[in-house]
Amino acid sequence: MTVEKDNRAWYRKAGGKAWYFFNSLKLTLFVLITLAIVSIFGTVVEQNLPIAKYHAQYGAKWTKIILMTGVNDMYHANWFVFLLALLTVNIIVCTFERFPPKWKSLLTHKPSRFDPRVIDKCAHHHTITLNENAASVRDRVTELLKKKKFNIEKYDAEGAYNIYAWRGTWGRLGSDVVHISLLLILLGAIVGSFAGYKDYATINVGDVADVPYNAFKVRLDKFWIEYYDTGQIRQYNSNLTVIENGKEVLKQQIWVNEPLYYKGVRFYQSSYGPSWNKVESADIALVKKKTGDAVRGPFTVKWGETVIVPKTPYSVKLVDYVADFAYDEKNKIIYSQSPEANNPAVGIEVYEKGKVVSTPWLFLKYPGVVPALPDKDNDLMVTGYRGVMYSGISLNKDPGTNIVWAGSVVMALGFIMAFFVFHRRVWVHIRETGSLTEVKIGGMINKNNLVLEEELKNIADRLSGNQTGPDKRSTGDRQ
Amino acid sequence: MILSLLFFTFSFVFYAITALLYIGSWVFKKRWLGQAATAMAVIAAFSTGMILIFRATEAGHAPFSNLWESMMLFVWAVNVGYLIMEYKHKFRVMGAFVMTFEVLAMLSAFLLPYKFKSAEPLNPALQNKWHWMTDLLSRWGAQKYAIGWLDFHVVTTFIGYAGFAISFGISIMFLLKNRSEEGGRKSALMDAFPEARVLDELGYRTIAWGFPFLTTGIISGAVWANYAWGTYWSWDPKETWSLITWFIYAAYLHARVTKGWRGRKAAYLSIAGFLAVIFLYWGVSFVLPGLHAYA
Ligand code: HEM
Repeated sequence: MTVEKDNRAWYRKAGGKAWYFFNSLKLTLFVLITLAIVSIFGTVVEQNLPIAKYHAQYGAKWTKIILMTGVNDMYHANWFVFLLALLTVNIIVCTFERFPPKWKSLLTHKPSRFDPRVIDKCAHHHTITLNENAASVRDRVTELLKKKKFNIEKYDAEGAYNIYAWRGTWGRLGSDVVHISLLLILLGAIVGSFAGYKDYATINVGDVADVPYNAFKVRLDKFWIEYYDTGQIRQYNSNLTVIENGKEVLKQQIWVNEPLYYKGVRFYQSSYGPSWNKVESADIALVKKKTGDAVRGPFTVKWGETVIVPKTPYSVKLVDYVADFAYDEKNKIIYSQSPEANNPAVGIEVYEKGKVVSTPWLFLKYPGVVPALPDKDNDLMVTGYRGVMYSGISLNKDPGTNIVWAGSVVMALGFIMAFFVFHRRVWVHIRETGSLTEVKIGGMINKNNLVLEEELKNIADRLSGNQTGPDKRSTGDRQ
Repeated sequence: MILSLLFFTFSFVFYAITALLYIGSWVFKKRWLGQAATAMAVIAAFSTGMILIFRATEAGHAPFSNLWESMMLFVWAVNVGYLIMEYKHKFRVMGAFVMTFEVLAMLSAFLLPYKFKSAEPLNPALQNKWHWMTDLLSRWGAQKYAIGWLDFHVVTTFIGYAGFAISFGISIMFLLKNRSEEGGRKSALMDAFPEARVLDELGYRTIAWGFPFLTTGIISGAVWANYAWGTYWSWDPKETWSLITWFIYAAYLHARVTKGWRGRKAAYLSIAGFLAVIFLYWGVSFVLPGLHAYA
């Protein structure tokens, strides 16, 4: 070996070094094991909590470390993504480096000239001497190999017969198929993270929700829960209608595990609860202002409906509801402090002769705090209401998903090739020596040596007439 | 609940006897002990299968919805996987290790608190059936036997776990045998082991089964999550641990084609991989918060 002077330009040298660095299985082991170890942190430290929670759990010092290293959102931290990128480059370089020569050698694997010396180099080989002429031995060997589904190439020579047999060549490509499928899955994940989005909406029955980045809307027509006899929840369901350009284009029932799909967007049933801003109906009573005694027993008003208050000039319309009444002084808005019905209040409009005369809030727990009617004797009071459920719908669009699934199918194919198709090559050299025939048989396999060991032993046994049946295993029962 | 628990008791006893027979045949090197052990292992597999069948009829759904039920599937898969390997390769010594492991697994299932054992109806997220199968079976009015992603996901994952469990046993045997071969010492117990070279190969073969099945389990879980939750991957602890395990076994596969990493180091990786499986299976359910709390 002579040491050649490296005359390449610096960037070529650097490129060569980088290529060498990435073309390494040791790097693969390092990255895989590192990924395994660091991923543990992300499962021990709960992800994406509010910072105050980390403070409470780990104290100030550790919280600082957690935030600095990004362990609170570890799988999106730069260094974690960097490790994944390292693995990706590693895979790409390895594949580029190994695939072309492998492909070539698989295409040109048949030797042009048979060299019996290969046999002695094989890890598995047998030499048998038979009392039989060479031609008939050759026929028997060919038969046995064919029965074992080998492809056969014959190299007849003077005084000798040679056979090269092979099988499962394409299994060699299994690891490459797996590696390419990994790249596909990663590609799908990347496409999804750039071109996709997620959203979540709570929709009350009867309401319509906008779909982000799309011209269509969805309406919740119905929401209901099914129970087992034991009272446990069996399933929750929503009937959705897709509305596009003012027209209903699709109606479908969804439940957990059964999303609706329209124009690349999926709608999932993800939660439910009592609505905090709408009721189905409320019960309203006319009462004496002074004593609070009922004058007219409660009557029911449906959401959005106008009802005449009996024996008065007034009518009321139910227009609003908050579950946990609160007033924002600065912005002058009324809102619900929580989704719980801690301080429920219904908002009504009171009409007299077709004109709005007041728009009061009626508090279930604090009747009479705000006078509802412009009337010196009587007042209105809410005595009860029937809530509605909201349905929590997650929606997402992820154009990368199909690439991920395609990658998964390719990976399955690659696994079958890599793990269950073994590339075997067998060389047989048959030579007459006097009245006897000597058979040398040897083989190589790319993995799973036990399989070939058995096959060759089996062929050798059968050739020498040791016909103990096809299922006699060469490894034997070693007890 | 009666019949499944009855067969659980039977199986527990069967596994104890099976383990003793395998150990006996290893120590005393009597052929008839080995044959009796194999027969007993077949009976135990059958009995474990009965646990699963009765639990399915009692619960009205495939028996994979809590820890106890999945343990039975695991024990059954390890047993069947072992028997297939014994049939193919005719080594019985492994049985002593695998069946002892089965006894421990049965014991841990037995010790589970009641809430992990009882037959429960499926919560909304667990109800997933393949439409095509439901449609097909409804022709004969048998749609309630349709299965879905839950069943596929659990079964593939547990076949993977079973492969890894067997490989774990083989890796320990490999380390023992390797040490005795390198030390050149003779020992009657070690002589009954297959050569280290063969153990290394068998350890690889079981992982070559486990790895694709675990991968299929992870991917089918992703497909299902995409139906149920709207994302195929959300880095919840169970998912992440399955990936950790997957990384370790991927490292194992590559260690075997790397110079200097074959044999002993690869065996250590296989052992580390199985410890990760145990944590993935039990640890995550008990220790870490997450969506997979049921099994
Ligand atoms: C998560 C990442 C990876 C996975 C899941 C993976 C998967 C696989 C699988 C399943 C095999 C077949 C193993 C066998 O037959 O026993 C394999 C073989 C192989 N992989 Fe990877 N691989 C990964 C990354 C890499 C990287 C980064 C490299 C770059 C050096 C690499 C190089 C190889 C080589 C050289 C083989 C053996 C090829 C052969 O025997 O034909 N792998 N890989």
